[in-house]
Amino acid sequence: MDMQTKPPRTAAEQAIQDSFAEMIGQLPGDAAVMVARDKLLSAIDDAGLPTRRIESWHYTDLRSLLRGVPSKPSGRAGRVDPLVWGSVVLPVVQGRSTDLTAPEGMRLTPFSKVLQSGEAARLLTERGSDDLIGQLNGAFVGDGYSFTVAADASMDKIIEIQSVQSGGQVHSRFQAAFEAGAKATVIERYLGDAAETGLSTSISTLELADGAEVTWIILQGRGGNDQHLAQLSARLGENSTLKVYVINAGGKLTRQELHVDVAGEGSHFDLRCVNLLAGDSHTDVTLTLGHSVPNTTSREIVRNVVLGRARGVFQGQIKVAQLAQKTDAQMSCNTLLLSDDGEFSAKPELEIFADDVICGHGATVIDIDHSHLFYLMARGITEKSARGLLVNGFVDELIDEIDNEVLVEALETLVEQWLADHG
Amino acid sequence: MPAVQETIDQVRLIDVDQYKYGFETVIESDTAPKGLTEDTIRMISAKKNEPDWMLEWRLDAFKRWLTMEEPTWARVDYPKIDFQDIHYYSAPKSSAGPKSIDDVDPELLRVYEKLGIPLREQEILAGVEKSKIAVDAVFDSVSVVTTFKKELAQAGVIFMSISEAMREHPELVQKYLGTVVPITDNYYATLNAAVFTDGSFVYVPKGVRCPMELSTYFRINEKNTGQFERTLIIAEEGAYVSYLEGCTAPQRDENQLHAAVVELIAMDDAEIKYSTVQNWYPGDKNGKGGIYNFVTKRGDCRGDRSKISWTQVETGSAITWKYPSCILRGDDSRGEFYSIAVSNGYQQIDSGTKMIHLGKNTSSRIISKGISAGHSSNTYRGQVSAHRKAVNARNFTQCDSLLIGNQCGAHTVPYIEAKNSTAQFEHEATTSKISEDQLFYCLARGIPEEEAIALIVNGFVREVIQELPMEFAVEAQKLIGISLEGSVG
Repeated sequence: MDMQTKPPRTAAEQAIQDSFAEMIGQLPGDAAVMVARDKLLSAIDDAGLPTRRIESWHYTDLRSLLRGVPSKPSGRAGRVDPLVWGSVVLPVVQGRSTDLTAPEGMRLTPFSKVLQSGEAARLLTERGSDDLIGQLNGAFVGDGYSFTVAADASMDKIIEIQSVQSGGQVHSRFQAAFEAGAKATVIERYLGDAAETGLSTSISTLELADGAEVTWIILQGRGGNDQHLAQLSARLGENSTLKVYVINAGGKLTRQELHVDVAGEGSHFDLRCVNLLAGDSHTDVTLTLGHSVPNTTSREIVRNVVLGRARGVFQGQIKVAQLAQKTDAQMSCNTLLLSDDGEFSAKPELEIFADDVICGHGATVIDIDHSHLFYLMARGITEKSARGLLVNGFVDELIDEIDNEVLVEALETLVEQWLADHG
Repeated sequence: MPAVQETIDQVRLIDVDQYKYGFETVIESDTAPKGLTEDTIRMISAKKNEPDWMLEWRLDAFKRWLTMEEPTWARVDYPKIDFQDIHYYSAPKSSAGPKSIDDVDPELLRVYEKLGIPLREQEILAGVEKSKIAVDAVFDSVSVVTTFKKELAQAGVIFMSISEAMREHPELVQKYLGTVVPITDNYYATLNAAVFTDGSFVYVPKGVRCPMELSTYFRINEKNTGQFERTLIIAEEGAYVSYLEGCTAPQRDENQLHAAVVELIAMDDAEIKYSTVQNWYPGDKNGKGGIYNFVTKRGDCRGDRSKISWTQVETGSAITWKYPSCILRGDDSRGEFYSIAVSNGYQQIDSGTKMIHLGKNTSSRIISKGISAGHSSNTYRGQVSAHRKAVNARNFTQCDSLLIGNQCGAHTVPYIEAKNSTAQFEHEATTSKISEDQLFYCLARGIPEEEAIALIVNGFVREVIQELPMEFAVEAQKLIGISLEGSVG
C-alpha cells in the first residue's frame, strides 16, 4: 500500500530527458564522468522538478515555472567588450570556452579538458536531493573554466568570465581556486539575446585559501525570454575575505543560489545583491550561509526594485554551528515594491546553535517615501526623474562600496540604463 | 553548617524536572477503550448526546483524516505517534453535569486548589469585585464546571462548555463551527474535528463588553489519553471579550497528545483578546515523557475595524507546534501576536504566527521572544502576507532570541510575502546571549546567578508580559523563572 503513483512528467521534465539522449554523444568526459551524469539525470527523473512543497524552492515552483527546454544553441553570439577596459576575458560563447594562455600569476584550463582528465567525476555531485541546479548542471555540463590564482599573486587586472548565449541550452562550470594570500577581482557576466529563448545553468565553485582576498561580481543580463539557473558555492579559509556582488537585471526566470561556508577562523564574507525586476520575470536569490568556526563575520544586504508584474524572492539562511562562538552575522533585505501587480517574498532565516553570537536580520517592503518624492518635486524635478533618483540612490549605495572606481562607474551606468529602459 | 544547607537547596533547585503541577489525581473516570475507529467517534458523540449533524460532521472529518499524512515540515523531532494507542475519551465519572460547584468531586476541587485556580465563587467574591474571572475547567477533555454563568447570562454573554452549547444553542454552533479552521485544515485539526470531546464556547452579543475575564483551565490527568478540546469564541458587532487559557498535566513517562483547535470570530468593531499560559508537563531532564502540544489556533477578523490579539507564554510541553494566526479580512482590522516561548531540558518549540492581510488598511504587529536553554530547540516560524487587494497593509515584526548555554538552538524562519505596492512590512530579528555586563552587575550586587538570569530574562520579555491580564502576568513571570531553573552551570 506504500506505493506512490508518480505524477506524469511535465513537458519540461520530458524535454530534459530527451535533450540528454540527444546530447549525450557530444558531452565531454571519461567513463566515470558519464556514470556520474547518468546518476544525476535519474535523480531528476526520480524526484521530478521541485515544487513549492520542497522548502528550498518554496517560492519558485519549477514544475510550473520551467517552460520548455530548448535543444541546441540556435542564434548567433559573439564576444563583446569587457565591462572594464583591459580586463582579462575568459569567453564562453554558446557554451564553448577558448583554450587561452593564462596571464601571469594564474593557471587556466577549459573545463571540457578537466572533464576528460580522469578526475572530474567527483565534481559532478549534488548538494542534496533538492539540488536541481547541481543535478542539471552535472548531467549536462559541457565547458567553462578551471583556474587557480597563485599564492600571494595580486591580480591587477579584472578577470571577466563572459558567457554569451543566443538561445538553446548552455551548461557551464567555473572552478576557481585562490591560493594563500592571493588577491583578485572576478566578474561573472551573463549576456543573452532578447530575440531568442535560452536555458542556462552554471555552477561556480570558489575555494579561498588562508588570507586570500577576493571580490566576485555576478552580472546577470540574460535576454527577456531566458531561463537562468545558477549556483555559487564558496569556502573561506582562515583570515580570508570574500565579497560577492550580485546584480540581476535580466532573464525571464532566474534562480541564483549562493552557498557559502565561512570555514576559516577570522574570515569575513560580504554579500551585496541588487535585483532589478521588471516585466513578468521571476527572480529568486537563495543564500545559505554557514558559520562553522569561531570568530567569523558576515554582512549581507539585498536591495530589490520591483516593477511591472515581476516577482522576486529572497531566501537567506544563516546557520551558526555550535562551535562557531563569537560569530557576528547581519543580514538585511529591503524591497521597493513599485507596482501593484508586482510581488516580493522574503524568507530570512536564522539557525543558531552557539550562544555567544550576535546575529540579526531585517526585512522591509515599502513603496517610495512620498515625503522624499515631494521634497524633490517641490524643487522642480519631474515625478519620473525624482522616482529615478530615489531608486538609484537605493541601489547605488551598495555598488559604491566597491573600491575600484572604474568598475563602480560601469555598474552604475548599467543600473541607470536599466532604469531608463524600464522605469 | 548553613553553607551546606544552602548548597543542598541550590542543588535541589537546579533539578530540571521539578514540575510544580506534576501530581496525579485519583478520580474515578469513564474512559473509552484505546484506539480510533468510527465506533469511537459514534461513542463520543452518543456520550455527549450530540445532534445528528454533529456526528455526521465528525465522521466526515474522520474519513478525511484517514487520507491525510502527518506534517513533517516543522523543526521538531519525535517518534511516530501510534494513534491507536490513545484513549480518545476520558471523563471524570462524577461530573455528569454538576448543578453547582458543590456537586463537583471534592478531590477535583483540591486539584484546582493545588493549581491555584480560584474555582469557588466565594473565593473570588472575597476579592475585589473588578478582578472577577469566570472559569470553565476542562479535565481530561471534559468541561467540569463553569462559574459565574448566571451573572454572565444577565449581560447576555454565553459562556459554557461547547457540548452544552451544542445542545442549548445549536444554531450558533452550527453557524460558526469550522468556519475559521475548516475540517481539513491540517492533520491535527482534522483529527480534532473527528474526536474533540469538549472545550469552551463563548458568544458575546452585539455591543456587549464582557463584564469579566473569561478563563479556561485545561488539565490532562488520565494515562494515555489524548486531549482534544475545541474552543469557539464569537464577538458580535462592537463586542469585547478577554479570554485566558491555562494548561497543566501530571508527570508521566509516556508522551501524551494534545491537539486542540481554537476558532475566534470578530465582527465589525469587535475585539477579542486571547491569552494563553501553557505549562503542560515538559518531560523530565532526560527528555522522557511530556506533552505533544499540536494546536491550531486561528482568529478571523471578519468585520471592519475588528481586532484580535493573541498573547502566549509557552513554557511547558515536550513539543510545541502552534501558530495562532489572524485573518485580517475586514477593512481596518488589526491583528496582534505577542509571544514568549521558553524552552529548557529537551523541549522543542516550533511556534509563531500568521498574519494574512486581505482587507484594506489592515495592520498587524508581532513581538516574539524566544529563550532557549539546556538541550532545547526553539524556532519562531511566522508568515506575513499582503493580498493584492490589501491596500495599505502594515506589519511590524520583531523576533528576539536569547540563548542560555551552548547546547541549545534558536531559529527564526519568517515568511514575508507582499503582493501590493502600498504594503509596508518591517521585520527584525536578533539572536544573542545574556549580556555579561548585566549579569556581572547583578552578581556584584549579591543576586545569585539563577535569580539574576531570571531577572534579566524577565526584562527581555517585558514587552509581552505587559500584554497579559494582571493575574496572568504575575503567574507568567514566576513560570519563566521556574522553567529556567537548572539552566545555569
